Amino acid sequence: MAEKGVLDGVRVLTLEQVHALPWGTGFLADLGADVIRVESPDHLQDRKAGPFPNGKAGEEWWNQAGNLVYYGTRNKRSLCMDVTHPSGNEVFLKLVEKADIVTDNFRPGTMRRFGFDHDSLSAINPRIITLSSTAYGYTGPWRRAGSRARTVDAACGLSYLTGYEGGPSMRASNNYMDHSVGNNVAYALLLALYQRKKTGKGMRVDLTMLETGVSAVGPAILEAQRGITRDRLGCAHWWKAPHNVYPARGDDRWIVIVVSSDEEWQKLKTAMGSPEWACDSRFDTVLSRWQNRHELDELLAVWTARYDDLALAADLQEQGITAGACMTARDLVNDPHLKDRDYLWEFANTQAPEVGPRIFAGRPFRDSGNPMSLSKVAGLGQDNGALLGELAGLPQSDIDGLEADGVIFGEPRPEEPRP
Amino acid sequence: MPGILSELRVLELTHRPSGAFCAKLLADQGADTIKVEPPGWGDQSRHEPPFIDDEPHPDRSSTFLAFNTNKRGITLDVEQQSGRDLFLRLVQSADIIIESCPPGRLAELGLDYKTLAEANPRVILVSITYFGQDGPYANYQGDDLVAQAMGGYLYAVTGSAAKPPMGTALQQMEITAARNGAVAVMAALLRRDQTEQGTHIDVSTMEAAVSTPSGLIHPYTYTGRNPHRGGSDGNVMDGMHLPTLDGEVTLTTAGTGGRPMQAWAEFLDEPGLTDPKFASRSGRMEHWEELHSLVAPRLAQWTNLDLMRETMARGLVIGLVQTPTQVEESPQLEERGFFVELDHPETGPMRYPGSGFFMDGENAMAAARPAPRLGEHNVEIFNEEMGISLRELGLLRAARVI
Repeated sequence: MAEKGVLDGVRVLTLEQVHALPWGTGFLADLGADVIRVESPDHLQDRKAGPFPNGKAGEEWWNQAGNLVYYGTRNKRSLCMDVTHPSGNEVFLKLVEKADIVTDNFRPGTMRRFGFDHDSLSAINPRIITLSSTAYGYTGPWRRAGSRARTVDAACGLSYLTGYEGGPSMRASNNYMDHSVGNNVAYALLLALYQRKKTGKGMRVDLTMLETGVSAVGPAILEAQRGITRDRLGCAHWWKAPHNVYPARGDDRWIVIVVSSDEEWQKLKTAMGSPEWACDSRFDTVLSRWQNRHELDELLAVWTARYDDLALAADLQEQGITAGACMTARDLVNDPHLKDRDYLWEFANTQAPEVGPRIFAGRPFRDSGNPMSLSKVAGLGQDNGALLGELAGLPQSDIDGLEADGVIFGEPRPEEPRP
Repeated sequence: MPGILSELRVLELTHRPSGAFCAKLLADQGADTIKVEPPGWGDQSRHEPPFIDDEPHPDRSSTFLAFNTNKRGITLDVEQQSGRDLFLRLVQSADIIIESCPPGRLAELGLDYKTLAEANPRVILVSITYFGQDGPYANYQGDDLVAQAMGGYLYAVTGSAAKPPMGTALQQMEITAARNGAVAVMAALLRRDQTEQGTHIDVSTMEAAVSTPSGLIHPYTYTGRNPHRGGSDGNVMDGMHLPTLDGEVTLTTAGTGGRPMQAWAEFLDEPGLTDPKFASRSGRMEHWEELHSLVAPRLAQWTNLDLMRETMARGLVIGLVQTPTQVEESPQLEERGFFVELDHPETGPMRYPGSGFFMDGENAMAAARPAPRLGEHNVEIFNEEMGISLRELGLLRAARVI
C-alpha cells in the first residue's frame, strides 16, 4: 500500500487466481487501496507458478515467485483462509461490511454457491461494488466455459489475423490478453468508484475476457460486416514498404525498419550510401515499393545483416528514419533509455529474503500527482492476524480457533508438494 | 444509465492510434470528447486502408471508424496563432486533454502543460508517445511495429523459434498504451476531486509493451534466461491451431483434473492419446507430430460451435480460433447484446464492439454517435457553444484555421 495514495481508504477483497484479475487489482493496490487477497490453501497454483530464482523453488517456495511481486500480491495483503468452511465464510462476510469492492474470477455460479453473489453482498453493504472477471460473462450460452489468455486471443479474432505472410494463423500471444483484461478491470473499477462518489450506490460489473479482446480488434469487426478480408502479413504492412523485421549481425539479432513516404525512403537510401540496387526505379514510389516489397525486403536484409542491431537502429533514428532493435529481456534490463526514465524497479521481497533484489518492469505511465511504488509483497497468510483481529474484530482466542480448525493458514498444508 | 463520465469534457489532439483509442475509452463512457483534427487532411488514420466497401474515403477507414466512436469532431490548426487561441479557449472548459505530439512540440506551440494549467488549473494533460517525454529515445520515431520490437514483444512472444520474429496483428501495442492511459486518467480524476489540481501524465507505448503484454523482465532477472518466441511450436495440446470442419481451434490441458490425455482421449474417442509417451508435457513436445496425427483427424470432424458446446459440458477448456465474421456472428456475444449499432451517414449502420464490461446488467458502452466526419461539429461547437459568429468562422476557414 503506497503512502497516502489516491485510493487511500478504499478496501478491496479479492478472490483471485492466475493472472488477469490480480493484474487489475494490482493497479488499485499501487494507487493506495487496501487490497486483500483472500487465498485458498487448496489453490496455490499462482504461488507455484514462479519464476523462481535460477528456476528452482526453495524451501519456502510459496513466497518466492517473481509473479507475486509483479502482480500477485504486490502492495496487497494476504489472508489465507478457506471460505468454503462455514467459519471462513462467516469471516469473509464480516469483512465485506468493511469493504468497498469485492472481485473474483471464478466461473459464474461459484460466488452464489458461497453466498457471495452481488445481491447477498449488497444486502450486507449497499455501497459494495462487485466485479467478476470471467472468460465469457455471466450470461449467454458459453457462460460455463473456462479460458486461458491465448484461448481468448483465439476467440476474439486476434489470432486468426496473426501469422507469417502467406502462412497459417498463429497464437497471437501467451498472456497478452490477461494484461489487457487486467487493465480493463482496473479501468472498470475506477469508473465504478467514480460513479459511486456521485450516486453513493454500489454497482455490479460483469467483465469478460472475450469482450475485452473483441474491443481491441474493432477494425476487423467492421471489415467483416462488409466482406473485407485481411491477409496475414507478418510484420509487413497494408501500404508501407519497407516495413518489416530484418536480420542484424550476430545470432538471432533483428531490426525493424519502417518507411512511410518517398522522403523517408530517400533518407534511408542516403543512410545506406545510395547503393545501386536502392536507386532502381522499382523502389522510387510508395506504390512501386509496396508492389516490389518482397525483393526490397530481401535486398535490404543483405544490408542490415552487416550491422549491430542496437547501433544501426540508433544511427537510423539519428537520421530521421523510423527503426528499432528487436530487444530481448536482457537488452531491456540494460537499456539506457529505460534506465534514464527510472522505468525499471529493483525490489527485494522481505518475505523471501533468500531471493534478494531483482529487477521488475515498472508502470508505463507517470503522474507526479499519483506517484506509484512497490512497497511490499504479501507472503501467504501474512496478514491473517491483523485482518481478523483489527478488521473483523475477532478476539485472539477465535483466531487461534480458526487456525486450529484448519480455516486459516500461514503456510501450505504439509502434504502440498514443492513445485 | 447515463454515461459515468458524462459531465466531463475531453479534448483529443492526437496523431496516433494510441491517443485516439484512449480518448475513445473515455468517450464510450459518456465523456464529451472533442477530436481536434488538422484542417483539410484530418487524422492520418482516416486515410489508412482498409476502407469500408473498399472505397478510399476519409470517412471509410475501418481503423478510424473503430477508434473514434462517440466523439465530436472539429478542425483546428494549432500551428497558427488564431488556432492556438481557440484551442486555449476550449481548454478552459476541458477536464482532460490527450495529445501525442513529439516531446517538446507543445512547448514550441505555446501549449505546454504550464500554459494549459494557467488557462485551467484543473486540466489533466495526457501525453501518449512511443518513448515518453524524456530519455535518450524521446525524439525517436515509432509505430506499432517499432513498439513491438523495442518493447521486447516481437522477439519473445508470437512467432516461431526457428523463424524471424513476428508480431501480433491490429496494433495491439497502441491499444495497450491507450488502456494504461485510461487507468492513469481515472486515477488523476479521483485525485483531482481531492486536490482540485490537474496534472500531466506521461504514457510510453514502448514501456506499455514491456510491462503489459508479457512480463518479460522478471522471468529474465529470476532465471537468467531470455524469454524466446516459439511457445506454440509443436505444442499440440497447449498452443497450436488445429483445423475443424468449419474453422480452427486451440486446445488446453486445463480442466482435466491433472489427467489431460485421459480426458482428451475420452472426449475425442482416441485411445492412442493415453500412450505413456504423451503423458508429460515434454513427451508431447518430443512426439508432437505423432500426437498431431492422432488429434487432428478427430477434431476435423467437429464444427466449431458443437465442439465448444460439448467440451464446455465436460469442463474442458478450448479456444475457437474465430474469424472476425465468426466473432461478429457469435451466439454468445449476440445473447449478451455486446455489439452496439451506430449509423454513420457515409457507411450506413454497423455493429461496433462494446467496452468489455456490463454495469448493473447494461452494456457500458455509450451509443451516442459514430466517428465524426472531418469538421462535422465546427458550427455546433465554435458557433453555437462558443459564440463565434458564422462570419468569423468563414474568415477562419478561409485562413485554413478551421
